[in-house]
Amino acid sequence: MPPSIAELVPEYIRAFEAYTPSRPDPVLMRQYGVDHLHRLNNNENALGPPPAARKVIEAFESMRSAIYPSGDSYALRTVLAERFGKDPERFLVGNGSCEVIASVIKAFCEKGDNIITADKTFAVYEWVAEFSGFEARLIPLNNWGFDPDAMLAAMDSRTKILFVCNPNNPTGTWWDRDTMERFLRGVGGRAIVVIDEAYCEYVDDERFPDGMELMERHKNVVVFRTFSKMYALAGLRVGYVCGQKEVVDYIRRTHIVYSVNAMGQPAAAAALMDDAEHIAATRLMVAEAKGLLLPAFDELGLNYVSNAGNFVMVETPASDSLIYRQLMRRGIMVRTMTGFRFPNWIRISTVQLPVMQDFLAAFREVLAVVGGDPA
Amino acid sequence: MSASTSNHSAQHQLVLELPSDTAFLPSAAAAAENAAQVFGLDRNGALRLALAVEEFFAYLCRHAGREEPIRLTLSDGGTLTRADFRFRAGEVSLRALNFAASVDMDSGEDAELGLLVAARTTDRCGLTRSGPDVFHVSAEVDRAYPEAEPQSAPQHLTAPLRLEPAPASGVVQHAALLAAGRYPARLRPHSFSRPARFADMVATGQYQVLLALDTVGRPAGLICWRNSGRRAVVFSGPYVFDPALAQDTARLLTEGFLARVARTEALCAFSERPTEDLPHGWFEALGSLTLHGAPDGGDDGKGEAQPVDQPAFFRHLREDAGAAVWAHPDLFPFLRREYDRLAFSRDLLAAEPTAPARLPAHSLLATTLDRLRGLAVLRPMLDGRDFEANLKAHVEAIREQDMRDILLHLDLAEPWQGALFPALSACGFAPRLVLPHAGDSDILVCQHAPVHS
Repeated sequence: MPPSIAELVPEYIRAFEAYTPSRPDPVLMRQYGVDHLHRLNNNENALGPPPAARKVIEAFESMRSAIYPSGDSYALRTVLAERFGKDPERFLVGNGSCEVIASVIKAFCEKGDNIITADKTFAVYEWVAEFSGFEARLIPLNNWGFDPDAMLAAMDSRTKILFVCNPNNPTGTWWDRDTMERFLRGVGGRAIVVIDEAYCEYVDDERFPDGMELMERHKNVVVFRTFSKMYALAGLRVGYVCGQKEVVDYIRRTHIVYSVNAMGQPAAAAALMDDAEHIAATRLMVAEAKGLLLPAFDELGLNYVSNAGNFVMVETPASDSLIYRQLMRRGIMVRTMTGFRFPNWIRISTVQLPVMQDFLAAFREVLAVVGGDPA
Repeated sequence: MSASTSNHSAQHQLVLELPSDTAFLPSAAAAAENAAQVFGLDRNGALRLALAVEEFFAYLCRHAGREEPIRLTLSDGGTLTRADFRFRAGEVSLRALNFAASVDMDSGEDAELGLLVAARTTDRCGLTRSGPDVFHVSAEVDRAYPEAEPQSAPQHLTAPLRLEPAPASGVVQHAALLAAGRYPARLRPHSFSRPARFADMVATGQYQVLLALDTVGRPAGLICWRNSGRRAVVFSGPYVFDPALAQDTARLLTEGFLARVARTEALCAFSERPTEDLPHGWFEALGSLTLHGAPDGGDDGKGEAQPVDQPAFFRHLREDAGAAVWAHPDLFPFLRREYDRLAFSRDLLAAEPTAPARLPAHSLLATTLDRLRGLAVLRPMLDGRDFEANLKAHVEAIREQDMRDILLHLDLAEPWQGALFPALSACGFAPRLVLPHAGDSDILVCQHAPVHS
């Protein structure tokens, strides 16, 4: 008999579980019998895109859909170069930062190599390494944050990339300038250091290190940024990587061109034009939301973790997946944290106060329902 | 005939392609006996496996499709040797794959109960399907391991505890004996009483284990789990050794276990042997099964005098995306109650039995027998006009094998399976549990009414 299909598949693919995204809102609403759904699961910016980006989106002509976009996001890279005072060739734009994660790993890793990151952080670094057949060395968080010394201790001659999520999703912790500098000196150029700054615009603290500046002194530093979070363009999928020209040139060799769509490129460029007010308004919304949630969690006697970023993590007295289902029945969608290796925690995106109030009312109801369950 | 050997995934394998011809029966049996001895079975164990292979092969020669060879894979499972036959079966012969299939008396052959002959000589065997008409029949014989005396747990362990994800074999064996000293046989894997076997099962990946150690490295607790199908893990424990530290130990182990399985292909974790130390609030209660266990209590001879209600716990490792399930309307009250209690979003679709005229004459049931646990699990594979009679025959044949617990799993992704419930009910099965996402969709576990002896 011929081999089964499974026998044709590498072991590291057979052992990997494909990520299953949540179903479309109308499907979920029908399934859970609700007439509304507050999305508090993906850390989207509920204010929507900055005004200039909105204008670009609203003015997009349907006939432009017939034309291929710029294959290498030429105009957007030019805007990024002006914004950060760097050569456009030092930027590589992808279909969200997940795509550039894959490009970096493909560029630097070969059989037998490993990457290092934290055990409780954004899962895509680990996933891409594993389904590509590379070892992901996962370092436990220390006091909710990345542990620089343990990461350095885990390095060996086959370590090619260290991923630092700064601020970390989902704990919001971040390394300050001194910690980052000490870490980069410890790496000593032996491997690529990816600093994922997806949530950097939410940090308003002068001690926060700027990866764009660090890469000028540490040639092995690569920075990821995204338009999906602060800039509220998650639906258009635009992220980018910036590094030294030589580093980016190698990454470009593994990167798929034409992957960023024709509406996303100009919308992202426009978002950078008038972002000051937008960032201030978003930070205010997040602060107000946390000002409502955190005292309520204190009152409920629940542990929580709230640092930088537009999200809060709270420990629940029952399985997070049960809490999820119960909240869905009340029109609230949160992120369960078992997949982040925080079983019995949920993460809530922080949005406008009325929605946060709805969440709290539903959450209190759910706790009353599940509180008496003995197991 | 062709043969090959491999060391795939660190496990030795011998693979034979055998024409469907009884002339090759000695070849199959000799290969099984030889491979089993090379893989570590003693002479008795090797002969038991060879006998099963002989019976299976003879059986398949009579009933499998002849157009393609039968593939026999003999695998070193570390603590066991497995014989797996992969073959293509035409619809005509499927009836014969029922474990309780009687050979037609009119044909002049003896009226032996089909594959049950082979099942008697092995520790576990079963029928599975991997394609529209591709089937596997497999048998396992365990290596012999010495039994060891359970040990009393040391008192006054010192906190803080820490997790040891990769304990040495000696530490695993010691911890298994400590658990055997504190928990009754029904709440722990049989291999805890044969600790070298348990350590080998861990070394070969049949079990995964996490240990909690105290400040000076003494075992404070243990939790272990294994894969159950592609998308679920089943766990036993947590076992805690110092009652004064029970809560901390159990929580540390449970949290560590969930962190280990959270980013694997598993969608759900189910309890297999949950202890009373399972921390509150981490799992959802699905219900319970009434289990009698093996008549001789398995390998430690301490059978349960009375049936025991064993609770079942569940935890989803992902966010539930909702699903549609098929079930006979008679099941709706049970399912509605359970889904509502568990807050699962499910569309209940009515599955009515297929008209007899549209069914093939014969149904097919897959049977898995676990002698150590006295447990038989039935899974419908094909519907047929004789389903109810076939199921009754299976129950009788299994009871004759001294199996005291019989479960039947219905995959509610399949309308025809959902529609079988009236036949199950007529044969003495009652719905007991819904296992979310345990099959292609949710699995409904039905239990046969216990035998009163």
